[in-house]
Amino acid sequence: MRWRYVLHVIGALVACVGMTMVFALGWGLWYGDGTAGPLAMSMVISVVCGALMFAAFRDPSFRRTPMTHREGMAIVALGWFAAGVAGGLPFYLGGTFHTVVDCVFESLSGFSTTGSSVLENIEAVPRGILFWRSLTHWLGGMGIIVFSLAILPFLGVGGMQLYKAEVPGPTPDKLKPRIKDTAVTLWKVYVLFSALETLLLLFGGMDLFDSLCHTFGTMATGGFSTRNASVAAYQSAYIDYVITVFMLIAGVNFSLHYLLLKGRPAALLRDPEFRTFAVMYLAFVAVIAVAVYMDGEYRSVADSVRYTSFQVASILTTTGFATADYEIWPGIAQAILLFCMFVGGCAGSTGGGMKVMRIMLVLKHSYHELFRLIHPRSVSRVKMGRIVVQDDVLRGVWGFFVLWIGLFVLAAFIVAASGVDVVTSFAASLACIGNIGPGIGMVGPTENFAWLPATAKWTLTFCMVLGRLEIYTVIILFVPEFWRK
Amino acid sequence: MRIIIVGAGEVGFHIAQRLAVENKEVVVIDKSPEALRKVAETSDVQTIQGAGSSPEVLEDAGIAQADILLAVTDSDEINLIACVFANLLNPNITKLARIRAGIYTNYKHLLTGDSVGITKIINPDEEVVNSVLRLMSVPGAVEINEFAGGKIRLLGMYLPPESPVVGARLMELRSRIGNDLGLVIAALVRDDKLIIPSGMDRIQEGDVVYFACDIREQEDILRRLGVHVEPVREVMIVGGGNIGYKLAKALDNKYYHTRILENRQKRCEFLSERLDRPIVLMGDATDQEILREENVHDMDMVIAVTGDEETNILTCLLAKSLGAKRTVTRVNNFGYMPLIEPIGIDYLVCPRLSAINSLLHYIRRGRIISSVSIKGEEAEALEAIALKDSPIVGKAIKDLDFPRGSLVLCFQRGGEIIMPRGDSVIEPDDRLLIISTRQNIPKVEKVLTTKVEFF
Repeated sequence: MRWRYVLHVIGALVACVGMTMVFALGWGLWYGDGTAGPLAMSMVISVVCGALMFAAFRDPSFRRTPMTHREGMAIVALGWFAAGVAGGLPFYLGGTFHTVVDCVFESLSGFSTTGSSVLENIEAVPRGILFWRSLTHWLGGMGIIVFSLAILPFLGVGGMQLYKAEVPGPTPDKLKPRIKDTAVTLWKVYVLFSALETLLLLFGGMDLFDSLCHTFGTMATGGFSTRNASVAAYQSAYIDYVITVFMLIAGVNFSLHYLLLKGRPAALLRDPEFRTFAVMYLAFVAVIAVAVYMDGEYRSVADSVRYTSFQVASILTTTGFATADYEIWPGIAQAILLFCMFVGGCAGSTGGGMKVMRIMLVLKHSYHELFRLIHPRSVSRVKMGRIVVQDDVLRGVWGFFVLWIGLFVLAAFIVAASGVDVVTSFAASLACIGNIGPGIGMVGPTENFAWLPATAKWTLTFCMVLGRLEIYTVIILFVPEFWRK
Repeated sequence: MRIIIVGAGEVGFHIAQRLAVENKEVVVIDKSPEALRKVAETSDVQTIQGAGSSPEVLEDAGIAQADILLAVTDSDEINLIACVFANLLNPNITKLARIRAGIYTNYKHLLTGDSVGITKIINPDEEVVNSVLRLMSVPGAVEINEFAGGKIRLLGMYLPPESPVVGARLMELRSRIGNDLGLVIAALVRDDKLIIPSGMDRIQEGDVVYFACDIREQEDILRRLGVHVEPVREVMIVGGGNIGYKLAKALDNKYYHTRILENRQKRCEFLSERLDRPIVLMGDATDQEILREENVHDMDMVIAVTGDEETNILTCLLAKSLGAKRTVTRVNNFGYMPLIEPIGIDYLVCPRLSAINSLLHYIRRGRIISSVSIKGEEAEALEAIALKDSPIVGKAIKDLDFPRGSLVLCFQRGGEIIMPRGDSVIEPDDRLLIISTRQNIPKVEKVLTTKVEFF
């Protein structure tokens, strides 16, 4: 483990995050809302600190030896936290929040594409800061695509080695060239879809600022809006449906989108995870739409379908936009949405949660065990489509499953211990570890996280990064063995 | 006609014997002097000791004047090389090769293309799989053969005592089951003897009745004959070798509940990775415990296709005694064949016999396009095209001077299948399906062949 190397790379990362503040600075200058000063300050601090770290820990020997697994994980985990701290500077200097915990919470909620907010009145915040807030989503989304499709399969974390062969780019054994090539390919896809959504939203009557901010929130499955009422503020079925479609797009494995754009749509339809995701989505929308309509929530079928399809997409892909307060929906609708919070998007998407692939594998493997009880002498393998799932993948998935549930419960205990009611404690930690955004109870779609005690906020901040980096990558930093020479 | 056979193993031996009986000029090549002596002792053939893959040996065997080369050693590679050299030495020769390995058979188009020019690749494993699948399609049939690309079926089966045709003379058949269905009784097996019947013969209880019919009418005919067909769904395959795997692959769909039993761990893993629905079980086929555990008494069919025929036979007997409805066993040794039915196994399949049958298609003189042995080898069904200048064209069926013991079952004119009556007249290019006892085959061939053709 080369500490200097890790810090060197993180320095570069922080400097990059600082440089991206220039876009928010642009909007601040354009609107003249007084955010230009704080943003420029934040930018300078981040770039200078980052550059200093980058230069101070520089060593020519780094070029010769490739990155190791451990270094990779340390860079990813610590890098995310560092980006969160740097990204919190504009909130602090701009006076949006007065405590450090709020700044870091909001910033990491952005970078982890969670979308939980401690802002009580979003519309009162100046435009430059709001743009930065949404931009953290989009940057986090970029990071997560590369992380889940280039780094995780290579490190073999949480069963992600299943995707090793399916990711575009070369398949060399070295981590670094793979990250670079894969990243460039997938970012093109990401940027293309983002541009498309922005255009469609502009066409629907949103202004450029709102279009961009909502695109960032959608493509990263984040959920920060520029309005207090979230997407509901626009009262437009067209906008609802555009965002619904793009949330679903963002919830699907980006390497499948890449193949789709390459002219191989069959790959998408053949992919077992995508099929399950699609079937699950349609089934849930159907059930909830019927339940909501029967309950008399909406007068027309069209409205029921519109609000249901948006809300299921929003929760299933862990985006967290709201067009309706699902807390007043009937029990079955809430129960299904709660289940969606656990599932999340597909592996290799920007969505959070446990991922459809892992839920599938856990169910398949459980059935497989039952099958073996019935046919004790059978020799069988768990399969995804036609591909045999190797045992190490299953072990990784089960480990992930147990850790995820365990840490979610532990976080809920800590939040409850800080004086929050039990439903809200569980909902808040689920919303954060699953990178969803809104939960139920006192952190539902119409409430926010501002009122929580500082202990709870720190815990939830940590949960967001934990969930975003697929548990293992962060938790490994706490294993003593990791630090041994 | 000169035929060169490379390989005097079981297949080579039997083909040589069959062809020698039919007065063909046969040369057998093999490395082993014992195998050659065995062939020479039983049949009137010329033998040459040497490697079949060597062009020198092929030249010695008179490849330049030969009409057909059969490469039927147990080695795919030697068979291939023999065909390549035969192609170079005499491009006009008909080359038939027995090739089993998937690595070659998956590239059939290359092997049958211009450069190698193999006329037909015979894959006995594949044919065994097909014949098991056919048996499954009509459970209860003793034997099923297909002709005219699968349009005509020749079924052999026991009729239940309450069937309307039992006790009837063949000439009364149409009045018993209706005049609209095309059905021709091809043969009866009574007390283990095969009878090619005439209109005066009666169908008796306990006879195995062989009849030809259009595949589209098969269901109606079976119903009118009073045969109840219970579909096969629960299947157990014993032995996960090449044949077992291919069979399981063919049954890998929603309709069948298939289990495949195999005793090697590695092979089990191979199977479970490639098969989707069939259940792969590891264990010995002769272990009663595992058969009971997997409810062998509920099986509609148990198919034993391991490489070891004794295991196959014992497994089938065991399965039968535990209550399996029907059993199929794979046998290699021809000596066991007469045993199978008396001891209570329902069907046997034999890769070598399949290979011999396929090879015979191509050797028949004239324009006989396919032939199948029925009831072991006592009779053959032949498929033939009536050539324009053949003496049979223009004649009514009843006027053909076919020897007794041979019968025209049906013919195909264009796409139509015609079940003939005595006064049906044969037109040029009709495809005839003929059944004949073995002794009469040369006579039937003579009737079918044009007068001007000499060998």
